[in-house]
Amino acid sequence: MKERIKTLAGNFFISVTLINLAMLILGKLLRPDQQFGYEVFVYPLIYGIIGMIPALFVNGNKELTLKQAVIKEIAQMTMTVVVIVAFMFAGQPLTHEVVISAAGVALSVVIVYCLVVLIGWLIDLKTAVVLTEDLKHFQEESRE
Amino acid sequence: MKLEIKTISEKETEYIEIGCHKIDDRVNEIVQFVKQRQGSIDAFKDEKMYKILIADILYVESVDDRTFIYLAEECYESRKRLYEFESVLPTRQFARISKAVIVNLMKISYIKPALNGRFLCRLKNGEQVIISRKYVPDIKEKLKR
Repeated sequence: MKERIKTLAGNFFISVTLINLAMLILGKLLRPDQQFGYEVFVYPLIYGIIGMIPALFVNGNKELTLKQAVIKEIAQMTMTVVVIVAFMFAGQPLTHEVVISAAGVALSVVIVYCLVVLIGWLIDLKTAVVLTEDLKHFQEESRE
Repeated sequence: MKLEIKTISEKETEYIEIGCHKIDDRVNEIVQFVKQRQGSIDAFKDEKMYKILIADILYVESVDDRTFIYLAEECYESRKRLYEFESVLPTRQFARISKAVIVNLMKISYIKPALNGRFLCRLKNGEQVIISRKYVPDIKEKLKR
């Protein structure tokens, strides 16, 4: 449980940082003249929390095979896209502009999601390198 | 063959070193003897019972309430439960890496990241087993000791 909370918290903060970046790029591309108040600072946090919701439901204690884990990640990413797009655009009339914005947001969510997984993997790679080095020392000391 | 015994400090790990011109039957016999002294476990294959040397075990896995012992090329079944292995196997050499697997740390070639915060460890026979994130701190601690 503790490890899962740590993982979710790590992913949340990486997501928030990347959502900030995505909002900047999407805003510049789609609505460069849009003006915001200070409340805009809370949006990445809200989207970060919304993005975590599928993880709370999909993540379980079951140990998955690599193939199952890949399928789970894809399912979780799709759910995240649906939840965020629904949160942002639900109730709005289906105009051409809204469709383009929604597609841009969906693409951004996919990119952010992939980057979160990639950054998490790179952090784990560092841990794996340290573990392997420690393991080599351990094996040398123990002398099979 | 010259025999040399030296006393080492308590802090160091005890070891046996063989200096030989080539690894022949005579040397293999000594190695087998030393391995036997490190202990063995009863296991079954094709309804026959075998004595498995603990030093030869790569990992022990529990699948659907059955326990399997994996060596480099063979697999045996045991009547012991996985938690019982934790008390039978040497704690320094073996570590729990997931809910269903205990691995021999001496038989791991390297560790690499997998998806979802888990790790894969590649064993010396080329097999890969999954390390759950939950068990990573324990493994780190064990390797640092």
